[in-house]
Formats: sequence, structure tokens, C-alpha cells
Amino acid sequence: MASQKISKKDAFYRYHASRLRLPEEKLRPIYDDELDGKKAPDDPFEVPDKMDVFFKYSYGGQSRFFREILHHEQLLGSKCPACQKVYCPPRSACPRCYEKTEWVELPGTGKVEAFTIQHYSTSAFVKKVPFLVAYIRLDGSDFLMMANIEMDDVSRAKPGMPVRVAYRLEKSGHITDIYFQPLDE
Amino acid sequence: MRDVAIIGVGCTNFRSRHPDKTYFELAFDAAKEAFADAGIDKSDVEAAVYGIYNDFFTRQYQPDAFCHDYLGLPPIPAMRVNTGGATGGSALRAGYAEVASGLYDIVLVLGVEKCADCFDYFTKNPVPEVLRAILYTSDMTYDNPIGRTAASGFALAVLAHMNKYGSPTEEQMAKVSVKNHGNALKNPRAQSGMKITVEDVLKSPKIVDPFKRLDNCLYTEGASAVVLASRRKVADLRLKRPPIWISGLGAALDWVFPGNRESIAEFHGCRVATKKSYDMAGITDPLAQFDLAELHDAFTGTELMSYEDCLFCEPGQGGRLIDDGTVWPGGKLPVNLSGGLIGCGHAVGATGLMQTSEIVYQLRHEAGERQVPNARRGLVQSIGGTLCAWTVSLVLERID
Repeated sequence: MASQKISKKDAFYRYHASRLRLPEEKLRPIYDDELDGKKAPDDPFEVPDKMDVFFKYSYGGQSRFFREILHHEQLLGSKCPACQKVYCPPRSACPRCYEKTEWVELPGTGKVEAFTIQHYSTSAFVKKVPFLVAYIRLDGSDFLMMANIEMDDVSRAKPGMPVRVAYRLEKSGHITDIYFQPLDE
Repeated sequence: MRDVAIIGVGCTNFRSRHPDKTYFELAFDAAKEAFADAGIDKSDVEAAVYGIYNDFFTRQYQPDAFCHDYLGLPPIPAMRVNTGGATGGSALRAGYAEVASGLYDIVLVLGVEKCADCFDYFTKNPVPEVLRAILYTSDMTYDNPIGRTAASGFALAVLAHMNKYGSPTEEQMAKVSVKNHGNALKNPRAQSGMKITVEDVLKSPKIVDPFKRLDNCLYTEGASAVVLASRRKVADLRLKRPPIWISGLGAALDWVFPGNRESIAEFHGCRVATKKSYDMAGITDPLAQFDLAELHDAFTGTELMSYEDCLFCEPGQGGRLIDDGTVWPGGKLPVNLSGGLIGCGHAVGATGLMQTSEIVYQLRHEAGERQVPNARRGLVQSIGGTLCAWTVSLVLERID
């Protein structure tokens, strides 16, 4: 049985749409001039491509931090037995004292050290704008944590504003399982 | 430690995209120009250092090895340096160490970046995908997933600085944009020379508070090369142009999770690196001793913070230097006469070397319309990473 012959253009777009897992209409008609032979011999020749690698990533010594969020909605810090400083995000060893840290429960409250409103972001987040990114001084921790704050009216955000941790209903095991809300919302 | 001079520079045009050149072809153009500028043959080069930042931009991991091949330099040794926005400065530091140590007499330092082959097929625009590629160099576990960008990191530092010191104001930041876009009009290599007003900047679309679009540098493609030589080689070569000496060099890598720092309202690492370079070069009064400076103005607010962290003034006083004319052309210490990252462009790995080439042209008195009369000494500040994690500070001098 003779295979059905498809046009050079259809073959090109079908191949790349399938390979890149992109809808074909997102690629069309970007490459039409090339495929229609309208380019001069020394014009730049462009092709679609992407780079990706799949992972089964281990959090290593930080695993318990993410497991407690996933299963118990509990925020943990890690405390150095030598200098008594508490880290969140956690560290399995204190980078100052080189001592193995111990897990401690944090109340999940804190204050906004500085925040900014993202009006633009990467292709992965461009649909979410405007959203807040902040450094938060967590109660019980000695260092700042970068995190999202979600609130009804982002224009009400202020430095020094008290916040508390909130947990997504549907969790992924990523840090985005948590975010912060104003204490009064 | 031996004295190290810059004997040749080459820099391609900085453009939003060079669709007719790959990264290694841009590198080739810059290297060829630098060899001709130094009056040497490529066979005189004993080692190379490549400053290339992002492997997604090039669609190629270990792009340095391929540059080396296309430049025809095998089998001399070469290595790649990547320290984010400070990649160009760090590459120069690595090359400096190779010459100062006595390991080699002539070293090529080449920075190149080509970002705009990244493309977001959903918005039909490279920028969101360029940003996504950049965010693979932020911390992947805690920072990347929350949608922050390089701009929001620096915005948080500027906001913390505003909370602590009451400055800079948005008007002061806008003046930096007016200055650097204006300076770029006189630089034929620059991507974005423009005559604009403070009002234009303040009214441009918000990107990340407090930065508007015209407060930001641009994504740029380009390459820049520097040829380093030992004093012995400088004496042998009978150079046509005056050698420019690296009289001071300092570097730092601060906590890359800035939450670990004492304060996010200052760039402590920058202060450490600057101090080190000043001590080495005998700089005690930068405003009096430098004729010009090229600072890493990825954002207007960070240029103002850098006036403080490069010790031009006390903390909280940076805004004063843009208000009183100090850093404008003709001022006591003009900053970013090339146009900086905002006006000339930010081709990441090439940026620190573009800044260096501007100081070299100025100290050789070859900077045309941008020339600072009788310039003898200049400063390069190359920074990168989350809230200025990396800093390289270089003092360059002409000694007749």
C-alpha cells in the first residue's frame, strides 16, 4: 500500500509539534518562508528545538522538610546544636559550625522583610502576573526565606506585614506546596 | 606576582539578536579583532579562558570547547568560567591569575553570549523563554519554583535599601536610565542608545516593582575579547598601543541564598571585593583617583547601590551622585560612558569584557566622542548571581 504523500510543510510542522509536544498551530506559520523556499541561500536558517531532561530528584538530607509539608502540613526548620541558629530553608549541616543540625517545628508565622510585585515573569509564570515575591523573616528562624505571598489585593502589601504559612490543597512535593498569607486574611 | 597588562581588545556590536552568527562565530569575530588590536598572531596565544554564562542560551553544554576549536587554538589549554552576570569579570580574573603566576605570558580571555535563540512559542517572543533559561541558574529547589526572576531578586535588594535608607527614589533611578541610554548614543557598538526623559522612564510599563521597563538592561548578544600579557612580553612585543595595566583586582562570592546575609539592603560581597582591589592599587579616594568607571547597571537601582558599595560615597548617599552630576559625562567620575548594560547591552559572558574594553579605549584615548580628557585610571565592577552574589572589581591604569 502506497503511503500518503504529505507536503514538505506539513511534514516539518507535524514532526516538530510531536517531538516538542507543542500544538502545531504554535509553530505555524513561523517557518513558512523557509519551507516555501523564499529565503536566500545565505539567510540564517532557523529550526525549532528544545532541551529537556527528566528527573527522579532526591532531596537528600532535606527530605523530611518536604515530607512534613506533604503529609502533615507542618513547617520545619533545622537548628545547629552549636550556634543555636535555625535555618529555613533547612540545612542538614550548619554551614557556619559544620555541625549536623536537628529538626525543629516552626510556628509558620513571620514578617515581610521586603516584597516585590512581579508584573512580568518567565514563560512558566507569565499567566500568573501580578504576583508577590518576598523575603520573609520567619518566627523561630534566624534567616530570611524567599516565598510567594498570596492576597486578595496585592496593593495592600507592606514591609513588616505579619504573615502566616498556608498549604495548597493539592500538593506536589515542591516548595510551592506552601505560600504565605497576611495574618489578617 | 607578576604585573599583567591588557595589550589588545575586541568587541562585536551588542545587538538584541545576531541571527546571522552562532555563539562561536561571534567569538571568532571578537578574537580576530583582539589579536589584530594587540598586533599578535593567534599562534602567540599560550592559553585561553572562556566566559560563557548560560548553556540553554547556546543550546550547548560545554560551549567553550567548541569555541576553542572554531578559533583554531588547539592544543593550547583552555577553560570555561561561569559566574552569572560576573562571568566576564571572573574570566578576566582567571586569565590574570594565569599570567601573574608566571604560568603563561600571553592569554586570551573571551566572553560571549547568545540568548535570543530561546523562543517562547506561546507569546511568539524570546524574552519569557530567555527568563526561564536564566532561572535554571537560580536555586532550583526553593527559588526557581516560585516564579521569581533575576529582576525581582535585585528589586528586593533595592526595596530593602529604600526601607532602610529612604533612597534611592524612583526619580533618581530614572535619571540613571536617562544617563545610560544617552551615553549609548555615542557608542557605535551599543544596542540601545536613546534620548529619553525621566518622565519616559517613570511612565514605561512596570516589570517588577520598583523597576519599570526602562529601568532594566536588555538581553543582548555579542562577544568581547581581551589579550593579557606579562611585563616581559610587553617589553618584547613593541606594541603600537599603550598597554593598560591591571593594578588592582578583588573578588567575592557572597551567600547566594541572600536570606543568610546580615542584610539584603547592601551588597556586602561587592564592598569586600572593591576594598581588596582598592588596597592592591592604592586607591583611597575613588572619586578623585578614578577618571571613569564602568559599573554593572543591570538595573538602575543597582547602579545607585553600587556607588555606595564601590565606596564612592556613604551608604544611603548613592542617589546624591546622580542628582549632583558627579556620575554624568563631564562630571567628577562619569559612570557607564559605554552606555552600560542598560544602554550598550548585557551579553552576559561578554559584558564584563565589554566594560573592560570601554575602559581600555578610554585610557588609550581612543574613545572618540565619549573620551574623558586625559583619562589615566578606571574601574570595572562586574557582578552577578542572586542579589550580587559574585563581584569582581578591577582597577585599570595607563602608566606612561
